[in-house]
Amino acid sequence: MAKQVLYIEMDNCIGCRSCLAACTQCGGHDNRNRNYVMDVDPLQTRQTIPLMCLHCVNPACARSCPAQAIQIADNGAVLSALVEKCIGCQNCTIACPYGIPKFDQEQNLMYKCDLCYDRSKEGIPPMCASVCPTNTLQWITESELAEKQAVHKLAGGKWLASQRPEPLEGETNVKISLPGILQGVQKLF
Amino acid sequence: MQKDKFFKSIKNKLHPGEKLVSTHCCYCGMQCGMNLRVDTSTNTIIGVEPRYDFPVNLGRMCPKGVTAYQQVNHPDRIKRPLIRRNPAWKGTAQGFEEVSWDEALTYIVDRFRQLQEAYGKDTLSVYSGVSMTNEKCYLTGKFARVGLQTRYVDYNGRFCMSSAAAGFNRSLGIDRGSTVPWSDLHQTDCLFIAGSNAAECHPTSMFRIWEVQNRGGYLIVADPRETPLARRADVHLDLRPGTDLALANGLLHLLIKNGYTDEAFIQNHTNGFAETKALVEAYTPAYVSEITGIAEEKIIRAAEIYGKAPEAIVMFCRGVEQQSKGTDNVSAYTNLALVTGKIGRPKSGVATFTGQGNGQGGREHGQKADQLPGYRKMDNPQHVQEVACAWGIPVEEMPQKGVSAYEMFGLMLDKTIRGLYLLCSNPAVSAPNQNHVREALKSLDFMVCVDFYLSESAEYADVVLPTTTWAEDEGTTTNLEGRVIRHRQAQSWYAESKPDWWIQIEIAKRMGRGQYFAHLNGPRDIFDELRRVSKGGTADYYGITYEKIEEQQGVFWPCRDEHDQGQPHLFLDKKFYHPDGKAKICALPYRPPAEEPDAEYPLRLTTGRVVYHYLSGNQTRRIPFLRDMYPDPLLEVHPDTAKAYGIAHGEKVLLKTRRGEAVYKVKVIAAIRPDTVFVPYHWGKDESINLLTNPALDPYSKMPEFKACAAEIVKLEKGERLHG
Repeated sequence: MAKQVLYIEMDNCIGCRSCLAACTQCGGHDNRNRNYVMDVDPLQTRQTIPLMCLHCVNPACARSCPAQAIQIADNGAVLSALVEKCIGCQNCTIACPYGIPKFDQEQNLMYKCDLCYDRSKEGIPPMCASVCPTNTLQWITESELAEKQAVHKLAGGKWLASQRPEPLEGETNVKISLPGILQGVQKLF
Repeated sequence: MQKDKFFKSIKNKLHPGEKLVSTHCCYCGMQCGMNLRVDTSTNTIIGVEPRYDFPVNLGRMCPKGVTAYQQVNHPDRIKRPLIRRNPAWKGTAQGFEEVSWDEALTYIVDRFRQLQEAYGKDTLSVYSGVSMTNEKCYLTGKFARVGLQTRYVDYNGRFCMSSAAAGFNRSLGIDRGSTVPWSDLHQTDCLFIAGSNAAECHPTSMFRIWEVQNRGGYLIVADPRETPLARRADVHLDLRPGTDLALANGLLHLLIKNGYTDEAFIQNHTNGFAETKALVEAYTPAYVSEITGIAEEKIIRAAEIYGKAPEAIVMFCRGVEQQSKGTDNVSAYTNLALVTGKIGRPKSGVATFTGQGNGQGGREHGQKADQLPGYRKMDNPQHVQEVACAWGIPVEEMPQKGVSAYEMFGLMLDKTIRGLYLLCSNPAVSAPNQNHVREALKSLDFMVCVDFYLSESAEYADVVLPTTTWAEDEGTTTNLEGRVIRHRQAQSWYAESKPDWWIQIEIAKRMGRGQYFAHLNGPRDIFDELRRVSKGGTADYYGITYEKIEEQQGVFWPCRDEHDQGQPHLFLDKKFYHPDGKAKICALPYRPPAEEPDAEYPLRLTTGRVVYHYLSGNQTRRIPFLRDMYPDPLLEVHPDTAKAYGIAHGEKVLLKTRRGEAVYKVKVIAAIRPDTVFVPYHWGKDESINLLTNPALDPYSKMPEFKACAAEIVKLEKGERLHG
């Protein structure tokens, strides 16, 4: 099976939060969503954007963990903290520049998006990308990704989470097209 | 059918100890395919899994769809029949006692008989809905006319699809919601979408809609609000609510003036062009701009894009239909496709976004006051004869046609109607002019409500019968494309609840009418009868079987015999369904909404949905995720308007019209016209925006004018402003 990645087209988002509802339905997620949708400027516009774990190639959350509780799976998924290792220090929640890891006080345990590892390890799309009605969240092969990359020019050919002046965090396994996706589309007539 | 561009072969995740039941969502007309996860040890529904291979949505679901299964084993389910013997409690949830089915049905039949003996057969009424299967919708019409022998049967489609139906029938001679399958949407070059907030109301259409733009095609949206759909439109026609007819005439004016018409198509396949051309002569961009408030250049640009587009689809929704001229709006927007010949071929046509799950099928098979199964009409003696014959009743026993849903409330108040059998609807939230409607419900001598939750309307009932949810029964629905699809039973009937067909057949038997119903032992029998009765009608289902639905992933009607595979595209032969085979281009002069703003009520109030809720909210307000996302109705106000009234974001204000008033929290947002305010309609009691809406009815469809009336905001005293 060709490697598949989560790919995000921010401009498609309609704010339905179906991805959040679907996240709660993933077998390993304890009925709790691990992804978020933000209103960009709610007094002005209905534009929204998903805030998903980007599954950094060299993730700050895992680097900051003193207990090696945050493992990286073979498909690049940065997993939720291991119950037996997590010491509840919450370093990861501070280290992540996007605020993705959340902390459960009762369980004394960090939880975060694991790309629905029980699905994605079998090549099945994560719940969020399965249900997204707008194609904001897509689960695509690397060749499909290359086609996207050809359309959307990026700094240095790398998909970085933020480009200037310095990336917030380096290369990510999740790829993003920022708002403005239609710029450069040739009109049919 | 060719493979959809978005189709991917994906296997499902199957958890140990579970099975998947492939079915559809219970909510809107998209009828998205989904799998329900069933725990095989307890045989209960415990979750949802995408259905990646269903061709309409290909696994995609909105938040309502994802959480729909949570209705089934919800703690609010009614477990046993309820009787309330003290009418003083009407309008509250108090005073009900649980009884056996036998006691409840005996009580109902006694009261029905007493009323009919004293006041005649027509003293009873049936008020239904279309969030249920074709089998149930068909049976409800027969139950009313043959079982209860009353003329008064109608349904909540009068608040939903009736204008689209009347408009399409007039223009095209047939009422099928879409002339093309949904898989055409992303392949067209221009989508013209009026009065539809598809991003919130039909979200699983969105991946196709965005694809039109990704391919370099155009999206034109007419809406008073910059909805999540309008946000990305190439042209956003930000019209005043209730002025669609002027806009449609103005676009037609420009299409004709600038030579975008298809003369041969007009000549060969339509009537009425000359008259319409003469009428729209006066609808210049300047005149239309003055009425609609849209900048002239936007109107000109929209007409140019639609005119130039090689293929284009005109789409609309309740925004244009829920007006006192909704039927005219539908015909006027359909005119655009007819004069340009952009209809009757793949990737071009007209479509309405059907609101309710079975809004299409439910209006075809005879629970409408003036209609019989197969889209037959009650004012056609031959149609009446055909159905009477199929049902085995003497033709003189067929009741006369009744009145529309809203008009029934008037007949309740004047005591023409004294008894009501209400099912699959919640008019104490969804009907306009709630003060009138609630008074009417309270005035009834006897009311039965069939529901799976104790809805706001059930609070007016003397007897409440628990019915099953969609996932506990078999049957078919017809989606917004006109595709007949199959719902499957994933769990046995909850507690003591029974499907509607079981209840109606039982009551009919006890009313002494068993001979017409006793042969029906379940959905399959009812569907077979529906097929036979619809044979030869416009909505001909005769060739549709459960097996064919399975094989073809749904069957588009008309489907006339065993070998017919159905018709995904209508009019490919350029034959319309009027007797001469031609479509009708309609000359429709603009008239303003029934109530225009004035000094006392200077704002325009419009209503609609939010993505987290469905219809009256009786289902979705109980689902934790959906309730948390949008717990209370918000009043959308433009910042300039908020400033003029001295009100702030989050502040509570009083909103009032000539019919009623309610307090809402303000949501300040620039994405709405300054002269317009918006409130979603999913809430009941004191929060219901339908306390304020105008019941002015469309003369053809009897659709109330939910979408435009005059309103005023009143700033509250300091203490009240922050309360709650």
